[in-house]
Amino acid sequence: MAKVFNWHLNRTMEYPFSEVRPKKQFAMVFDTNKCIACQTCTIACKNAWTSGQGQEHMWWNNVESKPWGFYPLGWDVRLLDKLGPQPWNGGTYAGKTVFEAAPAGEIALGVMPEKEDWSYPNIGEDEVSAGVKRGDYIRIPHQPWMFYLQRICNHCTYPACASACPRKSIYKRPEDGIVLNDQTRCRGYQECIRACPYKKVMFREDTGKTEKCIGCYPRVENGFQTECVVNCIGKIRLMGFLSRPDQAREDNPLDYLVHVRKVALPLYPQFGTEPNIYYVPPLNVPARFSRMMFGPGVERAMKEYRKAAEDDDLAGLLVLFGSTPRIIHHFQVKDGRARGWDEKNELLVEVPIKEPIKIRPFHDEQRNVYRFNIL
Amino acid sequence: MERRSKVATPIKKGADPALEGEFEVTLADGQKIKVRPVFDLIRQYLYDNFDPPSVSKLTWAPLEAIRDLARLIARNRGKTLIAVGMGPNHFFNNDLKDRAIFLACALTRNIGTHGGNVGSFAGNYRTAYFNGQAQYNLENPFDIELDPAKPARIKYLYKAESAHYFNYGDRPLRVGNKLFTGKTHLPTPSKMVWFSNSNSLIGNAKWHYDLVVNTLPRVDMIIAQEWWWTASCEYADIVFPVDSWAEFKQPDMTASVTNPFLQIFPRTPLRRLHDTRGDIEIPAGVSRKLADLIGDRRLIDYWKFVHEDNVQVYQQRIINASNALRGYQISELEENAKKGIPALLMTRTYPKIMGWEHTNENKPWYTKTGRLEYYRPEPEFIEHGENLPIYREPVDGTIHEPNVIVAKPHPAIKPAGPEEYGLRRDDQSVEVRQVRNVILTPEQTVASQHPRRKDGFTHIFITPKYRHGAHTTPVDTDLMAVWFGPFGDPYRRDKRMPWVGEGYVDINPEDAKSLGIQDGDYVWVDGDPEDRPYRNWKPGDGEYKLSRCMLRARYYLGTPPSVARSWFHMYAATYGSMEGQQKNPDGLARNPRTGYQAMFRSGSHQSAVRAWLRPTLMTDSLVRKQTMGQQIGQGFEPDVHCTVGAPKESLVKITKAEDGAASGQGLWRPAALGLRPTYEKEAMKRFLEGDFIR
Repeated sequence: MAKVFNWHLNRTMEYPFSEVRPKKQFAMVFDTNKCIACQTCTIACKNAWTSGQGQEHMWWNNVESKPWGFYPLGWDVRLLDKLGPQPWNGGTYAGKTVFEAAPAGEIALGVMPEKEDWSYPNIGEDEVSAGVKRGDYIRIPHQPWMFYLQRICNHCTYPACASACPRKSIYKRPEDGIVLNDQTRCRGYQECIRACPYKKVMFREDTGKTEKCIGCYPRVENGFQTECVVNCIGKIRLMGFLSRPDQAREDNPLDYLVHVRKVALPLYPQFGTEPNIYYVPPLNVPARFSRMMFGPGVERAMKEYRKAAEDDDLAGLLVLFGSTPRIIHHFQVKDGRARGWDEKNELLVEVPIKEPIKIRPFHDEQRNVYRFNIL
Repeated sequence: MERRSKVATPIKKGADPALEGEFEVTLADGQKIKVRPVFDLIRQYLYDNFDPPSVSKLTWAPLEAIRDLARLIARNRGKTLIAVGMGPNHFFNNDLKDRAIFLACALTRNIGTHGGNVGSFAGNYRTAYFNGQAQYNLENPFDIELDPAKPARIKYLYKAESAHYFNYGDRPLRVGNKLFTGKTHLPTPSKMVWFSNSNSLIGNAKWHYDLVVNTLPRVDMIIAQEWWWTASCEYADIVFPVDSWAEFKQPDMTASVTNPFLQIFPRTPLRRLHDTRGDIEIPAGVSRKLADLIGDRRLIDYWKFVHEDNVQVYQQRIINASNALRGYQISELEENAKKGIPALLMTRTYPKIMGWEHTNENKPWYTKTGRLEYYRPEPEFIEHGENLPIYREPVDGTIHEPNVIVAKPHPAIKPAGPEEYGLRRDDQSVEVRQVRNVILTPEQTVASQHPRRKDGFTHIFITPKYRHGAHTTPVDTDLMAVWFGPFGDPYRRDKRMPWVGEGYVDINPEDAKSLGIQDGDYVWVDGDPEDRPYRNWKPGDGEYKLSRCMLRARYYLGTPPSVARSWFHMYAATYGSMEGQQKNPDGLARNPRTGYQAMFRSGSHQSAVRAWLRPTLMTDSLVRKQTMGQQIGQGFEPDVHCTVGAPKESLVKITKAEDGAASGQGLWRPAALGLRPTYEKEAMKRFLEGDFIR
């Protein structure tokens, strides 16, 4: 085992390979507060990549309701239970990662789902944490509570799937950090499925190989965000590239949200894979639960996010979510308008933070027509 | 185009109108009468009946919540948006609820401002955005305009009627000794029905099985134009397959109440998946054939621009005559739409702020006086005690006595009692309830019981719409069905499943336990046996076997005790789907002859609900806006003053049918594994508490 630095944990940790970071790292931010779990992302991904025979159970993208939703069944509860309660010491993780807790002879502590666990992908939808009693009403934070968790492969900096593969068929691309499974090398041992703490590698019976989210790399290579991002009707997703914390650029949208403002946090950082999908934590959920899921930065992230309405830079960046299919490399907010540019500094999009209200003349002289709201 | 209203009489400057008190007024003939302002009458009704403790008892909302809400609205004058959707809008008392909301919003200045308003919808289309559509659908067939550059000449040759008489057995509302349907509403027996992509008019009609068993046999011919094989197609004599939205070969346009856009469908370069035609080509083609048979050229000319593949002529005529569209060119709109450039509806404001002109410019409302009216003086409203915005209990979806008027004695609430219609006061049979004007005080209401409570009917059953379907489209596709709730399994390990996903009902876990129901079990949901699933059913009937609702039960922590919810969209069991379950080797509930795919083993959510007609929605006297344009009329008007099929409320009995395990014996697997509410094992308990971090 090598020693690598995992900035989510603020410490070095053990990993089978040495620390080699890609030139650019594919990353996303999901704003959990804006999601309605319509599953348009899920169906967009399905139609693009996994609509074939043998892939019926396969959902590279899914949205699950927490706390009762899982795909596959019980994926996180089972691993958390196996790992046992783990401590954070301030911003530093003092517990064991899946690599550090690996049983003798194995690369990572893992759980192997049964075939039936891939059924019922929408189990737990909208279900709240505790029973609603006659006379309960809604207050913030909610009690009972629930929220929607959007999930794709985390394209981890230290992927457990890749490290567990006996064939070395899973690899992380140096150019963009997307994690892929080479179908010509894979022999279907499924060690990747056991090792991936997020259970985002799936087995395909008819080919005898495993498949996983490919980060829509043909789109990304051409400067486009992924299918799940551009089809999101709630505009809750932003895809881009994330720098290392010490190289963060303030005008890079991903860096700004993750490193500068710290409003977006990794999912289960304690697993130790340094996942690259980041979440604006839900405001309606007790911080204790969110800390377990998104780490110790939860309170700070919620506090920052709550200020967005009075903060043009943050609000401006949030309105750029879902406003262009292209990948935004630089952004700027000025005079109530947010702008995004591509890698070649070509302007992609310009959006007002506040949509202006228009009052049209009752009689349009030029077209000789009266305008009404009730017709 | 616009005529100044002479009805609205603005209050003179300096006037100090009395809001409260009783006054004596001398009429022209010298007679002296006592009068009170409407405000005062309403104030008395509210103060007498709806102090927070009474409201809390009636609604189950705690006092604290009621006071919090009142304070929130008070703090946010002009900024409170009351959004009302498919839940409360689908109760029999929905218009009374709207009158109450408007009252609260008027008193707190939350009408017609950006953010402070009433936002209510049930059905997203609003034909009036295309208020020039008469240019197309009312062109005089005896004087057809063949010049594409000229507008059509219009002649009214049709009479509209609410479709909801159809699923009410094709009858008007006649109870006791009285006919309650006004003559302007004119329901006539349906001899022939021809519909086009209309939300599965038959398949998802309220009281579907009554329609199938008792009404459809009386209809001579049914023609359906659909791009989806719905249950309506199962019962049609002729089905014309038409293009789906992705296959349009003619441009089209639509608009919705919930966004500001004029939505344009450009022609697609994609090939059609099947041998289909555009919707408009079907009547045009039938008409051409009729022309061949009877030799009248007008039957071809009436669709000239369809035959010439130039429907844009009709669209441009509609655009030119529509207030929110005039100025647009269809060719330009289509080109822009191809590039993804949207077009806005040219309403008075952007976004559409309903009531903006009436609040900010003193324009008259579409009422008799031009004001928002909180007193209804029409005889029908007085007769039913609805001259004031009163509260009535739901007509079936309540644990209390249904449809009673909740009021202490009030000088202005004097409805005609059941005796006046030749009915007994204690007659609470289903038909009678619709016209039953019985008054109970809040205390009496809370102490009263729905007549079926004694027979084990325990749950208020609501069937609102779900985000994974649009009315009845397209939840039966495999990818959607798998996500349609928690029971989706693409491999159907449980061969009882009708499809890869299926209908289910949400029940409070404690309620379910008391009924002997486990999470994931199959259950029966029965409505009032007096007329559900259909009138005159008998236990041994094949139709009864078809129409009794069976679905999965989900333990749902989010619903309070005695309320159960199922979704609206799922495809009902049909004769063919029942046959499929027997004949298909895989047991799918799929019609072997048509491919129709049901999401129920038997029955549907429509088995437990029925059609209800409401007397005050069928008056001849109400002054109201026309559906399109700025004219005012009286009595029936489609979409504005007509009976609705929206009531989807009932009180039901839920009984266990079968175990939930895939084997048919024992507990559903996720519950057995301890990952479901009330079955949770230690790990799940720790997870819920966030205990995996120290």
